[in-house]
Amino acid sequence: MAQELVGELPLTGRPTVRRRSEASLIRGAQAGSEADLGELFHRHWRRAYRTAFLIVHDHAAAEDIAQEAFVAAIRSLDRFDRRRPLGPWLGRIVANRAIDWTRSRTARREVDREPPELAGPVEEPAGGLDYSDVVVEALAGLTPEHRAVVVMRYVLEYTPGEIARALRLPRGTVNSRLRRALDTLDKRLAEVDLR
Amino acid sequence: MSRSREDTTVARELRAARAPDEAVTEERAWEIVRSAYAARPAPARRRLRPRLAIVPAVALIVGVLALTPAGATVHRWIEQTLGVRHARSELFSLPAPGRILVSGPGGAWTVASDGSRRRLGPWSQATWSSHGVYVAVASGNELRALDGRGVVRWSIARPDVRAPRWFAPDGYRIAYLSRDALRVVAGDGTGDHLLAARVAPVAPAWEPGHPYVVAYAGSREAVVVRDADTGHVAWARSGRDRVRLLQWSADGSRLLALDRHSATVYDATGRIVARIPAPADARDAALSPDGRTLALLAAGGVELIPLPDRALPDRALPAGAVRPRQLFSGQGLRQLAWSPDGHWLLVSWPAANQWVFLRATGRPRLLAVSRIAQQFSAGRGRAAFPTLDGWCCTAGGGA
Repeated sequence: MAQELVGELPLTGRPTVRRRSEASLIRGAQAGSEADLGELFHRHWRRAYRTAFLIVHDHAAAEDIAQEAFVAAIRSLDRFDRRRPLGPWLGRIVANRAIDWTRSRTARREVDREPPELAGPVEEPAGGLDYSDVVVEALAGLTPEHRAVVVMRYVLEYTPGEIARALRLPRGTVNSRLRRALDTLDKRLAEVDLR
Repeated sequence: MSRSREDTTVARELRAARAPDEAVTEERAWEIVRSAYAARPAPARRRLRPRLAIVPAVALIVGVLALTPAGATVHRWIEQTLGVRHARSELFSLPAPGRILVSGPGGAWTVASDGSRRRLGPWSQATWSSHGVYVAVASGNELRALDGRGVVRWSIARPDVRAPRWFAPDGYRIAYLSRDALRVVAGDGTGDHLLAARVAPVAPAWEPGHPYVVAYAGSREAVVVRDADTGHVAWARSGRDRVRLLQWSADGSRLLALDRHSATVYDATGRIVARIPAPADARDAALSPDGRTLALLAAGGVELIPLPDRALPDRALPAGAVRPRQLFSGQGLRQLAWSPDGHWLLVSWPAANQWVFLRATGRPRLLAVSRIAQQFSAGRGRAAFPTLDGWCCTAGGGA
């Protein structure tokens, strides 16, 4: 649930003496503490980035989307109600932006050859994908709307009601999208005998 | 398979999911988020600062008037009428090697040294690649890379694309503005990413020969020099006013930042080499390819200002150190561009519908070409004077 998002992904090697509450960190960031902002950022970055990545399936775009969500959060920081957890709010921004990005993706690449001057080094992610390629590939076969619902349900761990509010959809629509998405995933995963 | 079992499998796999390079992106994103945090709007009390800056600004303007007596003019052309008399009616050739890029309502055009012109297409805001083989153009919501014949090699859609700039000498990166953000994309159109949010609407400037370091105007009058791949900020300096123009010398030794009151020249480490008062109507400025001379264009003329060899400890030129040489006078001048060899300056003069080539070294010479709007017209509609996008290319690459 929303509160469970906070700090689920501690960074290795980062000393943790005492875990401060998120409200306290938000208050500190609002007062100008970069250290508190940093703590909030590090608590939430990876989940935000993963969420975006699983929806858009483009790591550069996912990075942008997550970055922009944090920048948007900073713009609204002074008005943010610190009694509310930051994670669900960020997750909502990320999911909506990721859906928008996927819908509007019109980038066209027309490179028919790569002369030296244009041949920018295309750097593959150094770490590779250390999770189930099969599941992610199956996820990529869904529409952005279905993908977002699945990711919000199983990565952000929103309830269908929370998803409905975040995406401004009727709850019945969320349930039907989840059902259809799982049906599709079911078929694709069955084909590769995942279990 | 039952729904509950599938739920469990999907949930487990997705919860275990890791996106590529999480740690690297986290580090990179933190630099951007921290910058955005630092650039948050200041409290209202800070708004007094610009008013306080008026006093030194007035002092600077008085200073420049005192430092530029009429007697300082060495080589000077004064055109009493609008435009150079006896200007050529056609652009038969360029007085120096290289090629010129222009864009405007008539589209983007290249001009070869023999004067031949080629229209690339209906593009605006064009920029040379490092060796002049390709051109990047901003077209509404798209950034496009064209070859020398105007064929689109790739494009990428981003909102409100402006001011693309290509890294020299290898051409592996393009920086551009999208809305109020600075973005960077590889020279083959891949790897597009946000470098900085909330930047000023000023074209970024790559530091020649330093992959991949780019200067941009941040919020709050700051000049920021930053690694485009890692996000590491090499240095940043606050100015007195909003930056209007940034330009590295072609050798990468110096960075020019022009604002409403002054032209500041930094060395590559961010130390001030010179801060020169600029007239309020200064419209353009350009460092010579070797970074040793500043050309400053105001509405009424062009001046050449020799710069010190090294940064000054007191961060300001002493009185009398600025010895501008007025090179040309005329009303309604707009843009400047150095020839790649550093011997000529091209001045665009929309009010006279002319280009004026001025030799800046050695014996003074002037060549003028008229009917510029007509020569860069698409052949339909009213001809409009084009924007000068660069004179390519210096030894280090870049326009």
